[in-house]
Amino acid sequence: MAETMTASVKLGQKVPDFEMVTYEPTKGDFGKFSMRDQIASKRWTILFFYPADFTFV
Amino acid sequence: MGADIVTVSTDTQFVHLAWQKSEKELANVRYTMAADPTGNVSRMFGVYNEGNGLDLRGTFLINPEGTLLNMEMNFYNVGRNIDELMRKFKANIYVAKKTNEVCPSKWKDEGDKTLVNPGAKMVGKVHEALQGA
Repeated sequence: MAETMTASVKLGQKVPDFEMVTYEPTKGDFGKFSMRDQIASKRWTILFFYPADFTFV
Repeated sequence: MGADIVTVSTDTQFVHLAWQKSEKELANVRYTMAADPTGNVSRMFGVYNEGNGLDLRGTFLINPEGTLLNMEMNFYNVGRNIDELMRKFKANIYVAKKTNEVCPSKWKDEGDKTLVNPGAKMVGKVHEALQGA
């Protein structure tokens, strides 16, 4: 059993803006991801959630 | 590929760095690894497990306008199929360009059979439409 909250995002609707700190393997540096940057640069996004680092994905 | 792949877990960016540098399977990783230690983004997408603080295996496809077009969620013990993710991604790009067509379940790539102008005439006649009759 997983205790999840109901998602506030809905299929076919705009995703609310959010941002996350990132690690960028291509640069070996930290960075930032935000929904508004993705929209501003007209990029498709695939968000891929997984349980934890150091496990299989 | 035309999309930015962003992996997300509740680990910090520091752990992402340590994992990517130590795990040889990840030596050639080019995607962004995002940190959601508060679980706030994960909650927004409904993948955060309050019981253990870990995310479920959820995949979300968002178009350049910021609209959510596809979502898939698996429980912990089953991995995702990247071919199916790519199929859905290509299909969404295709129908974004060809707005009068839809991609049926067997559609895999450009050139495969689509349904054009699905409407009243196709009701009860999907089989014939798929056969190209």
